[in-house]
Amino acid sequence: MPDLPVMVIGGGPCGMEATRGISDLGYNVVLVDKAEFLGGNPIAGDYAALTPDMRNAEDAMNEMIEAITDNPLIEIRLNSSVVAAEGKAPDLSVTVKNGKGDEKIDVGSVIISTGFQHFDPGKETQIYGYYEYDDVITLVDVERMLKAGKFVRPSTGEKPKQVCFIQCVGSRDRQIGNQWCSKVCCGIATKEAIEIRDLVPDCKVFVFYIDMRMYGFWEDELYWKAQEEKQVNFIRGIVTEITLRGDGVVVKGEDTTMGRPMEIPMDVVILSIGMEPSKGSTEMAKLFDIPLESHGFIETIGGALNTVQTSAPGIFAAGASTGPADLEDSISMGGAAALKACAFIRKSQLQTA
Amino acid sequence: MGDHKYEKSFQLEEAIVDGVDISGEWNKMYEPRELTEYDTTYLEKVIGLDGGESMGWCYQCAACIGVCPVDNVGSYGPRKIYRKLQTGLNLFEDKDLWLCTSCNNCLRVCPKEVDMMKIMPAVREQAVLEGNVPDELQEMLQNVAEYGNPMGESARKRVRWAKDMDETFRDLTKEDDPQPVDVLWYVSDYFSYHNRGNDAARAMVRVMNKLNIDFGTLGKEEKCDGDSQRLVGEKGLFEELAEHNDSLFQKYPHKELVVSDPHAYNAFKNFYPKVTGNEYNVKHYTQFLSGKVDELKALYTGEFNKKVTFHDPCYLGRHNGEYEAPRTLINSIPGIEFVEMYRNREQGYCCGGGGGGMWLDGFTADHTTERLSENRIKEAVEVGAEVLVVCCPYEVSRFEDAVKSTNNDENIMVLDIIEIIDSCMQGKVAA
Repeated sequence: MPDLPVMVIGGGPCGMEATRGISDLGYNVVLVDKAEFLGGNPIAGDYAALTPDMRNAEDAMNEMIEAITDNPLIEIRLNSSVVAAEGKAPDLSVTVKNGKGDEKIDVGSVIISTGFQHFDPGKETQIYGYYEYDDVITLVDVERMLKAGKFVRPSTGEKPKQVCFIQCVGSRDRQIGNQWCSKVCCGIATKEAIEIRDLVPDCKVFVFYIDMRMYGFWEDELYWKAQEEKQVNFIRGIVTEITLRGDGVVVKGEDTTMGRPMEIPMDVVILSIGMEPSKGSTEMAKLFDIPLESHGFIETIGGALNTVQTSAPGIFAAGASTGPADLEDSISMGGAAALKACAFIRKSQLQTA
Repeated sequence: MGDHKYEKSFQLEEAIVDGVDISGEWNKMYEPRELTEYDTTYLEKVIGLDGGESMGWCYQCAACIGVCPVDNVGSYGPRKIYRKLQTGLNLFEDKDLWLCTSCNNCLRVCPKEVDMMKIMPAVREQAVLEGNVPDELQEMLQNVAEYGNPMGESARKRVRWAKDMDETFRDLTKEDDPQPVDVLWYVSDYFSYHNRGNDAARAMVRVMNKLNIDFGTLGKEEKCDGDSQRLVGEKGLFEELAEHNDSLFQKYPHKELVVSDPHAYNAFKNFYPKVTGNEYNVKHYTQFLSGKVDELKALYTGEFNKKVTFHDPCYLGRHNGEYEAPRTLINSIPGIEFVEMYRNREQGYCCGGGGGGMWLDGFTADHTTERLSENRIKEAVEVGAEVLVVCCPYEVSRFEDAVKSTNNDENIMVLDIIEIIDSCMQGKVAA
């Protein structure tokens, strides 16, 4: 049996780590991404700094890209989409389409790392007016501004005096159909709150939340730091309505620890949008005949003990394609999938020999 | 928690719009609610104070509220204060500034270490400087500043309690050439000036003499320890008192410093060194005597056949970790039956006298449903105690008042441990 490559679909952090791992183990790998660049959401979304360590996102992604560049074992195909798959691993023929046409590639195993997409705040049942009000923006919009080294009120271009984050937008919501916690938004909002306080020290920052979910070290590295050192105001009680009053927006909800209603004018409102399965993830599941789990992400079957195994032998899924994942989860799963894909090929070779 | 404006409605008696009559209830409108202010000015002012920083650390878990003695009889606690500050409360001029008894129970359970023992004195210091102090407390502070004691009594009267005693002991300030003394006994204000404190002071002398201990007092030169004054924000006054008392401690050589008052113990052990640079070999009298239990037992000639319970003083217990010494003494007494209250040791309930509460009785009554001391007396009665045993000079008077106001005169009495030890040494049999 020939040394067939592993195909990694999706060149975000998870896919890049998988690619690096496969080549480190001495196997061939083909990395496919439909975008014209590597780096996935951190690059596509112009992320400024990573959570929780505040590292420059572009620097970190470039480091990952560099680790898989100019390696004879690695073939990178950008602007390319996987459109068909025939056979069963380890005898798979995957069709990749790019500007030049279709190409069939024989692969021994596949890792799907097609990630997530940001929730579209227009789908929120609570009326937040993202598409109506200039000063209502998302976590991703803030990243873009922070990357440009500024934080301003979109409607005026001036420095804001009072801004807030609204947590759980598009997450934990039966009506929307997203019954999951997106895991990262509390941390990212808090990280951005710290960055805003550093950039615009006169600006008051509020975070309206249902409950703050600050896993592990995010607790003191982000949450405590934001409150204790940066005087970010965390207020329990979600905003349910944003209305325009005069030139500005007013957020309305209940301050639950005070048991009283609140209506507060804000210069900027930031919606902490969560994660949804990306279009690529659902397409790949269909293409490789893997079921989606009940939330719509790619189903893995090993539970907590095997985070990357799917019901199709030799086809692995990793990162946010399988459910909400932070960067640590994604990188860890990428590494785990690389190991399992190489082991799958190795075992197949031993059986046929 | 707060009051807010809901649904204020109005209607015009006569209204015609575009020819349509919408008079009366047809034009009824609700006034828009006022916008909520989240004015964090005062929160920022508090956390900007030296000692006030941790006010900004509260993440609203409310662990403090369950153990706050004031919330037990009202609505209070660090979590609530933080939230009110976040929504615009001017703590510097608010009643909430004076309700904290600095009992330390909130800090004991606080996962974020929000420290009211530092926050309150820091904010109160500003209020004191601006003159925003409740009248009762202001009077006390003036008394201490002028007379060296909160009662406003003359220094001369500080030694009057010892007049009618057969016992003798050294008043170091009257000795021409004071020789070192083994035990320097800091008598404290309430033992010196309060009639029930006087009983305990005389008991102390008799017990110390029975034990043949070489001890002496600072006579009329002694002044208030200042710890409660520190906690109500009179930092300057505290420092003056510390310097004064320290100079006496240095002037009269001694092996050990024994105090009647847990507040004095706290001051000398934890706060005087920061002012004077000196360390003190200080013990609360229960700690001193609990080391001599065998000698005490040999001296008992009477019995105390009563069921008793013990109230842990906040400043001996939670603030300084001493729970066993008083219990050791109580259990040494022949015939005594000891029962714990539900809230004991670390969980002990505050009498309400700490952190200035001693001089805010009227003020506090306006904002709570009952006195903390009343709540505590009810608990003592509930566990079936005939005697509430105390070892803090603030407490005999506070609890005796509470016994009366809760109509428990027939059910329970209040005694300092030293009074019981003394009576058993005099061969008295209480039954």
